[in-house]
Amino acid sequence: MTGAKARRSLRLTMAAAIIVFLSLSALAQTDEDCLTCHEDKDLKSEAGKSMSVDRAEFQGSVHGQAGISCLDCHSDLRKVTDFPHISPLKPVSCGQCHETAFQQFERSIHQAANKKGTSGITIGCKDCHGTHGIKPQDDFDSPTFAINLPATCEKCHLERVPSKKGAGFIGGYNRSAHFKALEKSGLTMSANCSHCHGSHDIKSVDDPLSFVSRKNIIKTCGTCHVGIQRGYLEGVHGIDYVKGIKDVPVCTDCHNEHDILSPEDINSKVYSTKVAQVCSRCHDDIALSRQYGFLTSRLKTYNESFHGTAARFGETRVANCASCHGFHDIRASADPKSSINKENLPATCGKCHPGASRHFAEGSIHSAPEQIETAKYRTSHVVKNVYIFIIAGIIVVMVIFIAADFLRRILRKENHG
Amino acid sequence: MDSPPLIRDEEVFLRMNLAERVQHWLLISTFFFLIVTGLPLFFYDVKFFKWLLPTGRSFYVRGVIHRIAAVLMIANLIAHLLYTALTRRGRDNLKEMFPRWQDVKDAVGLFGYNVGLTHFLSKRGIGSKFFRKHPFWLFEKHPLYGRYNFVEKFEYWALGWGTFVMIFSGFFMWNVELSLRLFPLWVHDIFIIIHGYEAILAFLAVIIWHMYNVHLSPEVFPMSKVWLNGKITGKELRLLHPLEYEQTLEDRRKTLSAEAL
Repeated sequence: MTGAKARRSLRLTMAAAIIVFLSLSALAQTDEDCLTCHEDKDLKSEAGKSMSVDRAEFQGSVHGQAGISCLDCHSDLRKVTDFPHISPLKPVSCGQCHETAFQQFERSIHQAANKKGTSGITIGCKDCHGTHGIKPQDDFDSPTFAINLPATCEKCHLERVPSKKGAGFIGGYNRSAHFKALEKSGLTMSANCSHCHGSHDIKSVDDPLSFVSRKNIIKTCGTCHVGIQRGYLEGVHGIDYVKGIKDVPVCTDCHNEHDILSPEDINSKVYSTKVAQVCSRCHDDIALSRQYGFLTSRLKTYNESFHGTAARFGETRVANCASCHGFHDIRASADPKSSINKENLPATCGKCHPGASRHFAEGSIHSAPEQIETAKYRTSHVVKNVYIFIIAGIIVVMVIFIAADFLRRILRKENHG
Repeated sequence: MDSPPLIRDEEVFLRMNLAERVQHWLLISTFFFLIVTGLPLFFYDVKFFKWLLPTGRSFYVRGVIHRIAAVLMIANLIAHLLYTALTRRGRDNLKEMFPRWQDVKDAVGLFGYNVGLTHFLSKRGIGSKFFRKHPFWLFEKHPLYGRYNFVEKFEYWALGWGTFVMIFSGFFMWNVELSLRLFPLWVHDIFIIIHGYEAILAFLAVIIWHMYNVHLSPEVFPMSKVWLNGKITGKELRLLHPLEYEQTLEDRRKTLSAEAL
């Protein structure tokens, strides 16, 4: 390379560098440049939408704190030279940085609905996270902060986008024990929407990949309720659940889905006096009993007993299904660990009847007569039938006797003597 | 003899003295409360009882009332037993109350008389030979009763038997733990069945049998007031308890002639 050539190329390079530098300094506005206009509280687009950006809000946001500038998100402004610039800008793509969340969102029911476009509602990152003032998730003011999240989801899901299960289904969460713990006691580990449904990757309940699908619900609830999950999986229901039997109840079948209440709450499906209805939905179902070979007439026989009758009248201090059978880890009576195993019955009954002896096990507790195998255990049913026969006989004789007496006196208009 | 009759129609006789009436009142009220607080267990589906006992608390109170009424009824029974054993009138009543063969004949006789079939047949000359030989089966006359007729005797002893059964089974239901220490569960189940169905029988018997005989029967309609004032007139004695009437008459005649002597 000759000296002249080298000098020329150096000049050219410097000139290019100067041009680039000058043009860049002219194009690349700083956040200050943007706020010059956008800090104006009355700034509106042609469509009348507020274009105002709160300086403090942005600077206090997780992005502002990290030094992210306006152009990092509104990247299409980089090429703009004329100001005020044309509006609207392209929607911000958060996926540039938040790649995982973006990909998860792409597969979510929200994005599916966006693509389908039938609802007339488009939902993106900002609908849950906000825009310029995005706070970290553990900030008390963040719309996705555990305590605030239900309200954020309910902006749409309370009324505008109801569930397939009808209006009020989702709002039921606001009555739940989970929400109470969250709202009243500020227990952020109490389940909110995203604990069960996921956040970016929310899927339809019918999707097997959904956290709340039948396949995953036990695991999902078990994330917090570890001991209960373990007990459930050891019990008859859990064993069949693992086998993939779809009629077996999972958590939500007994406890409801959104409005999960404490068992002490009188409106709970598993409130002491209401447990029997929940269990008998399956255990009095003739089709299910044939298919899986269990006994029916559970509710009827329970209702006829003092326990059941008292419970129907609202007495809580009597045994319900769970008092004897257990709840999450219900076991077959043949299982030596079962609370209703003959060996364990004295202990189980003894919880309420102090000093319960082996005699408690020598009889049939709620069985229809034809289901009882030991003949002498049927005696009370025999006595009952004898009584019915005798009562009917006596009453019939009485009525005939009285009718004859009454008619004679009326018709013959006579009295004796 | 034209002297005034020994028993005038207006004369007042004491059929139930105060002690007996108090026993009866106590029996009525305890029976009422026992039935009202017991039936809900038997008919747990009836809306009325759900209305009567709207909460678990009221259901509990129901049980307490049932037990209080039971204790009062037992106390009343003991009082009655003492009264019967220790007073002259009580022993007299008991003697009159014993069932006799005549009561069976009276029951058959009244029914036959009420139906009037044999009377009808004999009028047509059917079976006249049989009826000549066995005039009882003709049922020509209303049976004549003493102080207590077969209806009352039946009620009294049915009540006695029923009370015994209810106290026995109820005692073990009240003390479940004791019962199941002594008996297996299937025996305890029998106590429960007995208690319920015996109650139904007692309830129906009172509603049908007793209510007819003391209220609806044209003989006393709308109500026999004996349970309130304990009194019956000489006329009622003559009509309803002719044998007792005869007995009283006989007694008075004897006294008169004794005095005359």
